Amino acid sequence: MKNRFRILPWLGLAMVMFLGSQCVQAAEGEALAAPTIQVDKTTIDNGGTIKVTGKAAPGQPVYIEVWAEGHEVRASRFDSDVDKETKKRPYIFYLTSKMPAFYKILVPKDLQPKLDEAKKEGSKWSYSVLLKDLGADIAYTVPAKVAIERYQSSLMASVVGSRGKLLPEMDEKESKKRSMQLVKARFRSIGNVLGASVEVQPDGSYSASLKVNKGSAPGQYKVVAFVDKKVKSEPAVFENKISFPTVYMGNAGTSMNLIYPFVLTLVVSIFGVLMGAGGGFIMNPLLITLFPTLPHTVVAGTVTPTVLFSQGSGIYNYSKIKFINWKLGAGIGCAMLVGGFIGPKLTEMITLDQFKFAFGWILLVLAGLMFWQTTPGYIQKNKKEQAILKEFKKRAEESAKAK
Amino acid sequence: MKVEFWGQEFQVNMVVGCIGGFLIAIMSSMFGFGGGPFMVPLMTVALRLPMYLVVGSSLLAIFFNTSISTMRHYQFGNFDLIFFLAMFPAALLGGYLGPQIAKRVSPMVVKRIACVGLILLALNLLGIY
Repeated sequence: MKNRFRILPWLGLAMVMFLGSQCVQAAEGEALAAPTIQVDKTTIDNGGTIKVTGKAAPGQPVYIEVWAEGHEVRASRFDSDVDKETKKRPYIFYLTSKMPAFYKILVPKDLQPKLDEAKKEGSKWSYSVLLKDLGADIAYTVPAKVAIERYQSSLMASVVGSRGKLLPEMDEKESKKRSMQLVKARFRSIGNVLGASVEVQPDGSYSASLKVNKGSAPGQYKVVAFVDKKVKSEPAVFENKISFPTVYMGNAGTSMNLIYPFVLTLVVSIFGVLMGAGGGFIMNPLLITLFPTLPHTVVAGTVTPTVLFSQGSGIYNYSKIKFINWKLGAGIGCAMLVGGFIGPKLTEMITLDQFKFAFGWILLVLAGLMFWQTTPGYIQKNKKEQAILKEFKKRAEESAKAK
Repeated sequence: MKVEFWGQEFQVNMVVGCIGGFLIAIMSSMFGFGGGPFMVPLMTVALRLPMYLVVGSSLLAIFFNTSISTMRHYQFGNFDLIFFLAMFPAALLGGYLGPQIAKRVSPMVVKRIACVGLILLALNLLGIY
C-alpha cells in the first residue's frame, strides 16, 4: 500500500514533465515565423529578372514558388508505362486545362549539384522524385490543386476517335501525384520548373533572382516563400507586360512576336509552291524547332486550317476548268475522312519527343521522294506526263471558255 | 471501280486507294500537314493513274482529310486563333507570290534544295545534331 502511494506522485510528475516537453516542442514549431517577402520590381516587360528578398527563421532552407495567376493552359499525358505493381499498362489519359501558364520553384543554391545530376538523365527525369530529393515538395501547392480529368482509353475508343471513358475523380494524394506528371508534360525541361538561386544568410534573410523568360504569359505572377509545408509568406505580386506585336496566345500558353510566324509562313508557303508540296511539311517541324515553347498539339492544330484554305482555292481553280474527277477524289476522300477523324486525337496522346521522332522519319521519307523526283528516269517519264497534263489542261481550259 | 476523265476510262483499284488514303490521312492529320506529296505518288505509282487525272483529284481527297482534321483539332482545343491569324495572311500572300517566282526558277534546283533541307530538318528532329 505504502509503496503505491509513494510511486504515484512520481508518476504524476513524470507525466507533467513529459507533456510539458511536448508543449515546448510544439511551441518551437509555431515559433517558425512566417517569412517575409519583397520583390524589387512590380512590372517586367516581356520577361526579365526579378529579385526576391525577405527574411525567414534563421537556419531554415527557403523555397520559393512562382506561378502565373489568371492564365491557365492545357496539359495532358497519356500513361502507357507498365505499372510496377500490376505489370499492366494502364492506358489512362490525364488532362487538365487549369495548369498555370508559368510555374517554377526556386530552391536553395547549394542544391545546384542535384539539379545538374538530374539534368544528366535527359528526358527521363521524374519531377516528383526530384521535388522530394530537393525538399521542394513543401512548396508544391498550386498545380497540386488543379482539376484533373482522366479517361480510360481503349483501342475501340481510339478507333472511333474518342478519349475513352471518363473515370471517377481521384483522391487528393493521387491527384497531386498525377499533377506532377502533368507539370513535366507541360513544361518538359528541368530548367523550366526548377531553379537553384535562393541564397540564405545565417540570420535568415534570403535573396533569390527569378528569371522570367521571354514569351511567358502576361499578367499577374505570384511569389510565395516557404520554409515548411504550413509556414509560408504572403504572396508577393508582380506583373509581366507585353505589347503589340507581341501577343499572348491563350491556347498555346505563350506570347510571341507575331512578325516571326508571319515571315516564316510567307517564306515556307512560297517555297511550298515551288517544290510542289504543301507548306505544312516544313511549317510544322520548323515551328517546333524554332519556338520550343509552342506545344506540338497547337502547332499541328493551327497549321492544318492554314493549309486548308490553300487547298480550297486549288480545288476551286481546278473545278472551274472541270479538271477534277469527283468520283475518284471523293471515293478516296471518304477513306481519308475516317483517318482524319482519328489522327488529331493521337496528336495529344504522344509526347513532344515521339512527335519529333516520327516527324523526323516522315521528313526522311519525303526527302527520299523528292530525290526520286530528280532522278533521270523519273524526269524522263515526268516530261511525257507533264506534256500530256498540259495538253489536257489546255483542252479543259478551252472547253471551259467555250461555255 | 471505273472512272471516266476527259474521254478516257481508267480502272482504279479502290481497295489499295482507300487503305493508302486512310493511312496517309491518319499520319497527316496527326502531324498537321496536307499530305499531297504522299498522295500523288500513291495515286500515280500504286494506282497507275496518269498525272493529269491525279493533280486535281488528289487535292480533293486531301481536302476531305484536312477539313475533318481541322474540325477535330478545334474540338480538342488545339487551335489557337491568334496564331492562326498571324500565319493565314502570310500563307495567302505566299500562295499568290509563289507561282510568279516559280516561273523563274528550275523545279529541279528547288527539289534538290528541298531534299537537303528536309534531311537536315529531319536529322535535327531526330536529335542527331
